[in-house]
Amino acid sequence: MASGPIPILKIGRTLLATIQIELHDTVVDSFQADVLEEIEKTGASGLIVDISALETVDSYVARMLANTAKMAKLMGTGTVIVGMRPAVAATLVRMGYFMDGIDTALSLEEGLALWAGRSKESSSENS
Amino acid sequence: MKQLHQPDYMEILKLDDSELKRRLAFFELGEEDFKRLTELRSFAERWTHEITEGLYELIMGQPESRAFFPDQSTLARVKKMQNTYFLGLFSGNYDLNYVRDRLRVGTAHERIGMPPKLYLGAYRRYLDLIHARLLDHFKGSETEATKALSSIRKLIFFDMAFAIDTYIAAYLETMTRHQAAIRELSTPVIKVHDRILLLPIVGTVDTQRAHQIMETVLVQVVEQQARVMILDIAGVPVVDTKVADHILKTTAAVQLLGSQTILTGISASVARTVVQLGVEITRMHTRSKLSEGIELALSIVGKKIAPKSNHAGSGDF
Repeated sequence: MASGPIPILKIGRTLLATIQIELHDTVVDSFQADVLEEIEKTGASGLIVDISALETVDSYVARMLANTAKMAKLMGTGTVIVGMRPAVAATLVRMGYFMDGIDTALSLEEGLALWAGRSKESSSENS
Repeated sequence: MKQLHQPDYMEILKLDDSELKRRLAFFELGEEDFKRLTELRSFAERWTHEITEGLYELIMGQPESRAFFPDQSTLARVKKMQNTYFLGLFSGNYDLNYVRDRLRVGTAHERIGMPPKLYLGAYRRYLDLIHARLLDHFKGSETEATKALSSIRKLIFFDMAFAIDTYIAAYLETMTRHQAAIRELSTPVIKVHDRILLLPIVGTVDTQRAHQIMETVLVQVVEQQARVMILDIAGVPVVDTKVADHILKTTAAVQLLGSQTILTGISASVARTVVQLGVEITRMHTRSKLSEGIELALSIVGKKIAPKSNHAGSGDF
């Protein structure tokens, strides 16, 4: 289990990180390291980052989240960001930050459902 | 009389003791004027009826102003009010109660829709009438008459300022109310089906409205946990780079929330302009007709519109 300020939980083959504190630059950096380490350790197929508690997300944090998702992808793990608030989404696009190529879901439940659907797809592809 | 919505102009115009002082100072109304005015009270009582008659001679002589006084009883009532108003000028009390009374006069004129030009025009005659009586009163001593007229004129202009302020405040109030109504009407989010929302956009989209559309769309998507938001732009007359950019941003923001948008109502001319302008809209779902958009939305949430089978259909009726 990562010892950083943001707990990362493992549910089946999915990792769940719920961000409940304001993200300062140092916190984001250590979060990124923790997540990647955890993926390496567990070989998780999916990562869900719940940001429903965040009232603001600045461009640095957005970029770091996007980069973390890209890095996870390189390790074979897909990322879903769930629960973004309307005001956060509006600010990000007004800053011209569209977070291309990142999966999002309305709620944690939907995020989990997304993974369930995907793993079914991939298992049926394999069989 | 219907008086459900009567705004408090004392509050709107921020009329308190210090504002009253500032106004009196600017109109150069002081103790000397008040004394002179109070001394003219018997003069006022003697001549008020004639002055009022003279005023209404002008008002009733022009069709535009006459239209406001359709019958004899109305005319008698307003003439009586005019006399009360006139005597009020010489009452000696020029405090907040006086102001409240003057605001009532302004409100009354505004409510019946009397335009300021008639109001101000009538005042011009009023001053002339008063001047003539003053000259008589002071037996040709022009200096005394001029001094008295000066004081009366100060107070009358002081009064007129309230009436004009009331006119403006009333118009602003109406405008604010209309704007709020328009804002509300401009973003009607409709629930089409479980987790599918529709926002028909009608009319010109400027920056302020675009912001409001984005805000409403995002809040509604989260509140209703919508999987799909259909934006129908069939009612938008011109889609230029700016409008396209706003729609694009809204789509991107909806995607960030974890939902999707479908853009419908794209006419041939809109399609042509958008491509010619080089706006990148390939990243969003688009359809020309709303019905096709709804079908696409249903397929996204895993449903579809299917024809009733004959067997099931006959059972329903």
